[in-house]
Amino acid sequence: MSQPNTTDMQKIETASNVLVLGGGLAGICTAEAIAAQGYPVLLVEPGEAVGLKAESRPLNSYSQSEKDTLNKLVEQVRSSENIEILEKTTLSCATGVAGDYRVWLSGQKPLSEKQVGAIVVASELIRNPLNAAYGLEIGGPVITQTDLEHALASETKKFTGKTVAFVVGFGQSGNPLVMERVLRSALELAQIEGTTVYVYVNDLKVAAEELERLYLKARDNGVLFFKLSQAPVIETQENGISITYSDPVILRDISAQADFLVIEEAMEADSANAHLACLLRLDLGSEGFMQTDNVHRYPVSTNREGIFVVGGSRQVKALDQACMDAENAALQVRRLLGDGTRLAPANKAVLDIGKCTFCLTCYRCCPHGAIYWSTENKPVISLIACQGCGICASECPMDAIQIGEFSDKAIHDQVQKSMANTGKAPNIVAFCCQNSAQEAAQMAADFGIALPEGLHLIQVPCAGKIDLDYILNAFVQGADGVLVMACHPRNCKSEHGNTYARWRVNDAQNRLSKAGLDKARLSFVTLASNMGSEFARIVTEFETWLRDL
Amino acid sequence: MSTEAKKVMVIGGGIAGLSAARELSLNGIQVELVEKADFLGGHAIQYACKATDNCQQCGACTVESVLKDVVLDPGIRVHLASEVIKISGSPRFKVQLGRVAVSDNDDTSKICQEGYEKNPVQCAAVKGFSKHNAIYRTADGRLNPDICQTADKLEVDAIIWATGFVPFDPDQKSTYRYSELANVVSGLDLERAKRASGSVLRPSDGKPPRDIAFIQCVGSRDERLGHLWCSQVCCPYALRSAMALKHRNPDANITVFYMDIQNTGNNFTGFYQQCRNDLNFIRTIPIDMYETDDDRIRTRYMSETDGKPVDAEFDLVVLSVGIMPGNDNKALADLLQTRLTPDGFAASTDKLHLTATDQKGVFLAGTVQGPKTIADSIAHAGHAAGEVIRYLRRAS
Ligand SMILES: Cc1cc2nc3c(=O)[nH]c(=O)nc-3n(C[C@H](O)[C@H](O)[C@H](O)COP(=O)(O)OP(=O)(O)OC[C@H]3O[C@@H](n4cnc5c(N)ncnc54)[C@H](O)[C@@H]3O)c2cc1C
Ligand code: SF4
Ligand code: SF4
Ligand code: SF4
Ligand code: SF4
Repeated sequence: MSQPNTTDMQKIETASNVLVLGGGLAGICTAEAIAAQGYPVLLVEPGEAVGLKAESRPLNSYSQSEKDTLNKLVEQVRSSENIEILEKTTLSCATGVAGDYRVWLSGQKPLSEKQVGAIVVASELIRNPLNAAYGLEIGGPVITQTDLEHALASETKKFTGKTVAFVVGFGQSGNPLVMERVLRSALELAQIEGTTVYVYVNDLKVAAEELERLYLKARDNGVLFFKLSQAPVIETQENGISITYSDPVILRDISAQADFLVIEEAMEADSANAHLACLLRLDLGSEGFMQTDNVHRYPVSTNREGIFVVGGSRQVKALDQACMDAENAALQVRRLLGDGTRLAPANKAVLDIGKCTFCLTCYRCCPHGAIYWSTENKPVISLIACQGCGICASECPMDAIQIGEFSDKAIHDQVQKSMANTGKAPNIVAFCCQNSAQEAAQMAADFGIALPEGLHLIQVPCAGKIDLDYILNAFVQGADGVLVMACHPRNCKSEHGNTYARWRVNDAQNRLSKAGLDKARLSFVTLASNMGSEFARIVTEFETWLRDL
Repeated sequence: MSTEAKKVMVIGGGIAGLSAARELSLNGIQVELVEKADFLGGHAIQYACKATDNCQQCGACTVESVLKDVVLDPGIRVHLASEVIKISGSPRFKVQLGRVAVSDNDDTSKICQEGYEKNPVQCAAVKGFSKHNAIYRTADGRLNPDICQTADKLEVDAIIWATGFVPFDPDQKSTYRYSELANVVSGLDLERAKRASGSVLRPSDGKPPRDIAFIQCVGSRDERLGHLWCSQVCCPYALRSAMALKHRNPDANITVFYMDIQNTGNNFTGFYQQCRNDLNFIRTIPIDMYETDDDRIRTRYMSETDGKPVDAEFDLVVLSVGIMPGNDNKALADLLQTRLTPDGFAASTDKLHLTATDQKGVFLAGTVQGPKTIADSIAHAGHAAGEVIRYLRRAS
């Protein structure tokens, strides 16, 4: 993106304190990291008390030195002057934009309003025993992974001389965090006098530091692993459990008896995330996490400027990931809030209130939640939160919004100018998203691949800025063909810009058909920034097709 | 409290080094970025997009955008084709840089054997050409000496060690006959070829392959080699590549030979279900490769259903090579006076401080510390940048 010169910059005041939602490990690390950057933190915990929760990882699976470090961290956060802790408190409502959020908290104290510059969501993972997947009830010899961990912490004698079987990876595909708990417990059991330990497992999820080693260590300590592709048949009997699976090599059903069966536990997103996401106007990702499946959100960003997600709010990840996320969130906060003022380009998206009919379209379609309604009941675009994508500008029925250097006029002029000196080759106007197609075009050029002579690239901030007008006007100006080139679905920095573009292309194609033109003269394609060769192939094929018409 | 006028050296310009450099610079810290190769972006800048109808979140395109930010950032000085040869002093480190000779044919990749002049596009992919690296080069693709920094002495307040990994060299598993058989390629070859040409063709005859095999865990989780780690990235990249190939060519018949499938990231369950529908999964790792008379690769494995040996033929075999400790790790650990793990990766102090080392002022970012995806390398680099800022504040 080209930077506007400094005369176009506007100074904006930002609130300096930060709301952290969730007082588990991720929340604690985040509060500490943000406070260490010099910003006051409001740490809000819905549960009884801020502290290490058993949810994301049971305490007995931490090593002693990890426990010591963590306890010290909790103490530090509790005693920090820069961190205010509110327990048994939840978020009721949030308005505003980055640098100036208003939040209402309810809990022990009556509903209170606070102003914060940024918000970090640090929800914990939830453990969910998957006994139903095996048609079993918890009780008697059937215990959950958590039950086992508690038992191992207190009464290991219970297992002396016993056979313990684990089932994992059949109720859900699982992940390294689930696997680590199983492996640690299995190893611990194997080291108790006279135990026999079986692990019936689908895929061994060992894609985390030291897990392959842990697996080998368990195996070498006598844990027997059975890798199956289907869940074994499990029956509870009077004196224990029977486990049956069919062995592919000897082509026979094999049965084993166990005294205890340990049921795997899924690690899942907190179901409260959905409500929180709604309050904060965040797009939910898959499986209930609060970050969309979009690589541009790496590592802790969301669709909204100034709202970050860490640890279990965004992914199933281990202890160390929570610390990493915390530090990343603190960096982002620092970048956003600076020393209390921020410079932002004044012309990113400019709203001409004289043209506005207050229809709310822009408010609804802004993917970054950057538009708010002022106390005078008018739309206002936040200069900090706005990403300049131009979706609002293209959707506004009154053309009341213009985007910095990508104003309607600038784009029309550019198309007109490029058409002024054309040769014999077919004229192709390609509207290119600056995040993907424009980069790919340049990559093709740098690779030295020849591009069609009559290709005219028109850069846009996001495909969502490509108006119907632009497309039709390109034909009016003499284009033989028009390409609308957007990011792949789920790769749009503005989440839905490519969807808007596709709709508009459909609309324009219908109009072309009605006007008697072949609608294939207008084509919608998606690309990534690293697809230089594909870019060249697509435009060349399009040119060939146009020539052959 | 101020971190102004502080300077940090980042060694290694892969995605981890780039991300760390950018985060530091955004926080007002000057960065000296030292990269041994003649381009920035490391391995990941050589990868191709693996989208089907949708983006599959491989993360490759994020490297382009971080690279762009770094190239345009006046707060980051880039030293290409340079390496650290001496470090002395503490807490202010005095660093001596040396020039590294880079030739156009120093890469043994299968797609770039003819050299730059004969095959500029292919070589450019190997060299991580992107719009943004292009500014460091002259028209014939050579490194532009004017643009590269030539300062050979630096003084810095902290160091981020981000020299990444090396992909497993498939020749170490000789029965795959990687060097010998044209149509046995590595995962990295596949990425580069796809980046260069936009499609996947057989090296032997340039035709699109129909029967394709991916062999997982090549060089990783291998007790005989003493590689007791999962590389974490090869299941994700193999499955995504396979799905992208299948999407492009629905007639392709793709088989994945594996021990255990690792998660690819968000929404793994849904993605894996699709993989199961579109690809064949065989839970065993074939050992030997033979060439057939009609230029195919034959391999033999034990059937999962009846334990009998089965012969299978493929047009193309892809070896999913994993993440190995970098070649320079030992030398750099000595220079930086810090430790390696028994596996040869750079050792961090503990699980809560995965970027800290035993040496004050020296921090780790990315795969130098152990296998990571691009996403995790970025997060790790952010963590490192945060730790550096804290360290500099404490020191001042
Ligand atoms: C075949 C393959 C495919 C992959 N596909 C994916 C994928 O699709 N998605 C994903 O998330 N991950 C993928 N990965 C993993 C991905 O490559 C890594 O996560 C990422 O590249 C790590 O970045 P890095 O900066 O740590 O290391 P590197 O990319 O290795 O960068 C290290 C940099 O340091 C430089 N360097 C080395 N030694 C020195 C020295 N002595 N002095 C100065 N500089 C030095 C190197 O030249 C290099 O530029 C894949 C890996 C492989 C092998
Ligand atoms: S330009 Fe994009 S980010 Fe900015 S207000 Fe409009 S829709 Fe929102
Ligand atoms: S879309 Fe346009 S007319 Fe409607 S509220 Fe927004 S600026 Fe006003
Ligand atoms: S598949 Fe990979 S390179 Fe392609 S758009 Fe998605 S993240 Fe980017
Ligand atoms: S990620 Fe998959 S292929 Fe790579 S080492 Fe792990 S299990 Fe093997």
